[in-house]
Amino acid sequence: MEKMPSLQFSVSDFIALTNQTLEYAYPGVEVEGEVASFKVNQDKYVFFDLKDKGGSIGCFMTVWQLRVPIEDGMKVIVTATPKLTQWGKFSLTVRAVRPSGEGNLKKSFELLRAKLDNEGLFAVERKRSLPRLPQHIGVISSTQAAGYADFIKILDDRWGGLQVDVTQVQVQGTGAPDQIIRALNYFNSRKQLPEVIVIIRGGGSADDLSAFNDEPLVREIAKSRVPTLVGVGHEVDVSLADMVADMRAATPSNAAQILVPDRHDTIREVRYQLQSLLPRTEQAVQRYHHDIHRQLERSIEAIDRRYAYTSERLGSLQRVLAELDPKKVLARGYALTRGEIAPGKLIEIEKSDILITAEVQHVSKK
Amino acid sequence: MSAKNNLKISEKTAKLNELVTWFDSDDFELEQALDKFTEAEKLAAEIEHDLLALKNNIEIVKAKFNEAE
Repeated sequence: MEKMPSLQFSVSDFIALTNQTLEYAYPGVEVEGEVASFKVNQDKYVFFDLKDKGGSIGCFMTVWQLRVPIEDGMKVIVTATPKLTQWGKFSLTVRAVRPSGEGNLKKSFELLRAKLDNEGLFAVERKRSLPRLPQHIGVISSTQAAGYADFIKILDDRWGGLQVDVTQVQVQGTGAPDQIIRALNYFNSRKQLPEVIVIIRGGGSADDLSAFNDEPLVREIAKSRVPTLVGVGHEVDVSLADMVADMRAATPSNAAQILVPDRHDTIREVRYQLQSLLPRTEQAVQRYHHDIHRQLERSIEAIDRRYAYTSERLGSLQRVLAELDPKKVLARGYALTRGEIAPGKLIEIEKSDILITAEVQHVSKK
Repeated sequence: MSAKNNLKISEKTAKLNELVTWFDSDDFELEQALDKFTEAEKLAAEIEHDLLALKNNIEIVKAKFNEAE
């Protein structure tokens, strides 16, 4: 039997061939393990080992590819391509890394929250108010998601006449953060900016919602020119995207409630306003009636006062007049004399009860 | 109904508020109250009609976001 000729390569060619073979065999492989010897060189390159009980593999990635914080002891899943380095060392070139399991997701969440909080990204002073009644809304969501359907239904029920532009993106999985970032950039670069950008997604597992704890996405939301409203998951789910947004909605339905008033409330308010006018008019009529009645009373009182005053004055004049009556003077014993007072002349003397005719005998000065 | 109509609704609501305020103000005159009330009644009916007729325009953006441009 003829022996197969052995293939002969240079070292470099052999490494290149091995890498081609590996790339063909494992174009994208996910490996789960515990992080060890994590380090960042020159703020650009990330090195760590991924290990389990049976072995350890060196991993390499760039800082910008590391979307969530990791540290030694944390269990992660890396999406990577196996590679043989020019020094003959086998390693994984990592494209993405995500924490594995709820505990590690939470740990990663807390690490990133502390980091961003330290930078002031969640500060209340940064929060902008949403427009009271926006006319143009930008929505970032998956149109297939139940959360999106809830949002649109509540929005349509509550208000109308709005221009709603919807960008269709993935809302879970490794590609989701970048798609949401592109959608945010799309809205923020429009000539006609929407008045608010709403990011929504219904409930899911911690892993499903982890896309909303992605550092570049959180930073992109923070720097959005347009105010943001984030409604992800259920009421109990809190993501970093929620925390950095100008406003957090507990659910997608709640996002619609925050955005627009309920037209039925407005109609009730309008009806109430109208109904309130009738009692007001009635009150005004009563007020007028009361005022007129009061004025009449005052007029009658004034006439009464004037009458009393005049009557009193008249009585007093009558009393004075009565005192001046000559008959009263005669009754007191005085006499009234008529005729020329000169010696020899006859005069008439009137007393209260008699008339006397007498002759003047003598007149002298007192 | 377009977004433009919302502005009209807000104008009508503002006018209705103005009328309601007039009833509480010193400008109130009984002789004008009936006309003002009729005007308010008409506005309220229009606002209700406009609000119920409003429809949203939902547009799915054609741009794709699944890969970098």
